Amino acid sequence: MPKLDFDIITLGHGSGGVLTNKLLDSGVFDLLTNDILEERHDGAIINMNEKIAFSTDSFLVSPIFFPGGNIGELAVNGTVNDLAMCGAVPKYLSLSFILEEGLKMTEFWEVLVAIKFACENANVKVVTGDTKVVEKGKGDKIFINTSGIGNVHPKANIGKTRIQIGDKIIVSGNIATHGMAIMSIREGLEFESTIQSDTTNLNHTIINLIEQFGNDIHLLTDPTRGGIATVLKEIALTSDFGVDIFQRDLPMDDQVASACELLGIDPLYVANEGLFLSFVDASIANSFLEVLQNDKNGKNAKIIGSVVDTHPNQVILESSIGGKRVVSMLPGEQLPRIC
Amino acid sequence: MPKDSHNTYQIKISGQVQGVGFRPFVYNLALKYQIRGTVSNNEDGVAVYCNSSKKKVADFLSDILNHKPETAIITTYSIIDLPYIEYNSFEILPSEINKKINIPLTPDFAICNNCKTELSEAANRRYHYAFTTCVHCGPRYAITNKFPFERAHTTMDDFIMCDTCKMEYKAPTNKRFHSQTNSCSSCGIQLQLTTNSAEVITKNQIDCIDDVASFIIKGNIIAIKNTSGYLLCCDATNRDAVITLRKRKKRPHKPFAVIYSSLEAVKKDFNPSIHEERMLQSGVAPIVILQNTKKTAIAVNAIAPNINQTGVMLPSSALLELIMQKVGRPIIATSGNLHGSPILSEEKEARKKLEKVADYFLNHNLNIQFPQDDSVVKFADSHKLVLRRARGLAPNYIEAKAISKEPVLAMGAHLKSTFTFVPNTQLYVSQYFGNLENFDVLERYKTAIDQYIELFQTSPKTILIDRHAQYESSILGEELASKIGAKIYPIQHHKAHFASVLGENQLFTSNKKILGVIWDGVGLGDDNQVWGGEFFTYHNSKIERLTHFEYYDWIANDKMSTEPRLALFSLLNDKNLVKNKFSETEWSIYTKTITKNTLITSSVGRLFDAVASALDIVDVNTFEAEAAIQLENCASSYAGNHFTDFLDGFDYDKIPSQYIIETITKTYRKGGAKEQLAYSFIYTLAMAIIKIAQKNHIDTIACSGGVFQNSLLTEILIKEAEKQTLILNLNRELSPNDENISFGQFMYHQHIKN
Ligand SMILES: [Fe+3]
Ligand SMILES: [Mg+2]
Ligand SMILES: [Zn+2]
Ligand SMILES: [Zn+2]
Repeated sequence: MPKLDFDIITLGHGSGGVLTNKLLDSGVFDLLTNDILEERHDGAIINMNEKIAFSTDSFLVSPIFFPGGNIGELAVNGTVNDLAMCGAVPKYLSLSFILEEGLKMTEFWEVLVAIKFACENANVKVVTGDTKVVEKGKGDKIFINTSGIGNVHPKANIGKTRIQIGDKIIVSGNIATHGMAIMSIREGLEFESTIQSDTTNLNHTIINLIEQFGNDIHLLTDPTRGGIATVLKEIALTSDFGVDIFQRDLPMDDQVASACELLGIDPLYVANEGLFLSFVDASIANSFLEVLQNDKNGKNAKIIGSVVDTHPNQVILESSIGGKRVVSMLPGEQLPRIC
Repeated sequence: MPKDSHNTYQIKISGQVQGVGFRPFVYNLALKYQIRGTVSNNEDGVAVYCNSSKKKVADFLSDILNHKPETAIITTYSIIDLPYIEYNSFEILPSEINKKINIPLTPDFAICNNCKTELSEAANRRYHYAFTTCVHCGPRYAITNKFPFERAHTTMDDFIMCDTCKMEYKAPTNKRFHSQTNSCSSCGIQLQLTTNSAEVITKNQIDCIDDVASFIIKGNIIAIKNTSGYLLCCDATNRDAVITLRKRKKRPHKPFAVIYSSLEAVKKDFNPSIHEERMLQSGVAPIVILQNTKKTAIAVNAIAPNINQTGVMLPSSALLELIMQKVGRPIIATSGNLHGSPILSEEKEARKKLEKVADYFLNHNLNIQFPQDDSVVKFADSHKLVLRRARGLAPNYIEAKAISKEPVLAMGAHLKSTFTFVPNTQLYVSQYFGNLENFDVLERYKTAIDQYIELFQTSPKTILIDRHAQYESSILGEELASKIGAKIYPIQHHKAHFASVLGENQLFTSNKKILGVIWDGVGLGDDNQVWGGEFFTYHNSKIERLTHFEYYDWIANDKMSTEPRLALFSLLNDKNLVKNKFSETEWSIYTKTITKNTLITSSVGRLFDAVASALDIVDVNTFEAEAAIQLENCASSYAGNHFTDFLDGFDYDKIPSQYIIETITKTYRKGGAKEQLAYSFIYTLAMAIIKIAQKNHIDTIACSGGVFQNSLLTEILIKEAEKQTLILNLNRELSPNDENISFGQFMYHQHIKN
């Protein structure tokens, strides 16, 4: 971290004036440097050919530092992954901060460094950005918005309409990890568990799969907020097929599973970060799985279910003892339903 | 022709008057009175047109009212003068159709005594015919396709009556005159016995019964298709067979019901009260929960582990009657389904789902439209507590008149789901379906709603749902409302419970203030907390929350409902008292999460759980409500009179949940007797109701909610209310549990103007 003559963020840092420049000059630019950013123009001018994917996401997470990562890399990976889910090679990001007055400069710096490394890992550049500061109490340390663009891979052909009856659904790894990592901190259980967030960039993994399986990959999606249940239900609702998944096939870390069990939390609804679901043609499901399992982001990948025509719009979880459970989208927090 | 019969009268009778032998009854009575005219079923019930003198028709009508068929229920009748039309004879006319239907849906009736006798008379046409029915008995609702109740509108339409059956059907003096379900072994429903791999063993009707009986005696498990759905059966005196059934059904602890061949056989094992006897023998033939005795000779520990009671019933159909006669000992009969799924009724599906559970299948070819579980009833002294309302009870609700201007569908709750449909001035409360989180249950529930809409050719204009948006019934209600453009209203759970008991006791018009005591496990409150120990007042069409059990922490989501030790943990100030009930990890997690917890509850259901755990009775439930059942069991075994009201001298502004639990826990640790403490706990709760009524100067009390399934609480309450001359109202035809929510939602919507 560079030497600074301030150690907390003040309202002035968001004024757009001297203090803002000071904040940026004193390292932000050095840290995230690239040609386009160095232009310091009102916006970035970039050359993009062919089909482009464009995505945006805002990140609010409390606490901003958690086992396995912080809000900075979450912000980069989140948008990178959203682009990857479109079958795109992520290229450029915008980065906007809303900082809360009083944020420690050291914390801000740690987030920035995480952003830098996340960008390097994902091979993307921050080309434009913004910083605002809100009064103490009006924010929660740091809010980040990132938007990103990238070229859609020529072999990618991804969309909800491409899903077919019989498609296999593959999850790339252990579920519910990120959400439970955050939960363990929030509930003060950090000493009870070593659950780490799974946040990571998935773009290289995805592009590799697209290159090999191209057209047979029908849909890619990352089950972040609302977990696997919400994503699957959303997909089922906007189509005329149903989804069957099998409880015994859901990969889960033992610690995560027992934390969920103890706290009465349904892992299907818990947020994931470095995880994706693939709907692929049944004919390639096994070879797809094999390739994925050889990737560092797919060691625990598993086929968890399939697309069916028997119960349109419904997602059904078959339990280990054979019962079939209806999976719905939960409006809001889980509330007890059992009498 | 005498002058005085130059009058024509129209008599209209409504209520449960179709499918109960009403027309043949009126016909025979008309012959007796030498009255000419017609009788027919119509959209409102039964209509009679006749020539008669004024005097004679009055006698005729009073004879109808006084000697109506046993299973008929008359709600209204009218008689008017009409311009003279001449009739030459008395005739039963076919039903008028294509009008809006406004009559009850007749429930299924258990086999009557006459039919039972015929089954065992070697010379009788119906000797050993497994589907013997008459105008007084047999399936009705289970086989209904359409209104009114005519053979052509039921699945009996698949069978064409032979000449002899037709003759019976046409002969006014025959007891099967106009019996819509009439059939015999040569023209009727056929049995077929197969192995679980679908190999046919026999199609011979008598062999089917004989073989099933001998398989049961040998210790096998048989899936028997009764007229309301499949039952899984085995020898109730064979412990191994019962345990095998448990294993295969993946149902380790939850009690099974037992069928006895006759009341005499029941009396060999139990001491049923007169109320219980009557209920067992009624046309409903429900499961009646009886207290075990020393002479109980079945495998009680396998049938209902650790519970001192057994669910007992008598054969509900000719088929079961024949099997029971042959087996000669009590058998287990549990709904044919997989863990948590709805009762099966279709052969192929049953085979697929039960092939690993049953060794043999006894099938038949009558289609079942509305599969239903057996109803379950328990008595608190003379008060009938309905625990599950299904076969024989559903779906009519005759006592409450609906005054809705437009068709209403009330979606009910989640775990014990029912719906209430009000297409006209009749009110239909569906049978119990089960937990809607189970896909098959949800499908069954949805299908039944569609069937009702079809049956009555009426789409709801208003849909009522629970305030808890995560109930599957609420989600479905929202979907349905937006699909058909109906209005939708969410209704708070406990207020719906209150409205159910107000509605069942016709209390909405009361000009006195009524105290509503609504206690259950979980319901989402108006403050978004978990309610369950509520005191309301009803006055002038308004419901207000008077007070409640003091809030305590709700932790670990739905897990809190299945682990009584968590309720105890939450309620104790000195949590170290229960440290031994948790592993080290659990302990360190729960002690931390509780400090950050924001969800709070007034649940009395969880209070029962906490006491069960405090007394080391149950720490973790193995089936729903286990702790509450075991606690009641324990308390009921207390024979002394040294019980205490823990709240004696308190001010009753709120009920101190924590104090009660702390007191019980500490007294028990000091050597207090479990039974005495359990009894005192229930007594304390009953007294709280009395005290709160008195403190607020209210003399009419209405109680509802799952907690009032507790017969000991109900018994104490009835006694204490009587002592203090308080008027106590309980649910009557409906269960106090969440099965009454749909009815309550409708009643709330009709009557409450908050
Ligand atoms: Fe309830
Ligand atoms: Mg996203
Ligand atoms: Zn009969
Ligand atoms: Zn016949």
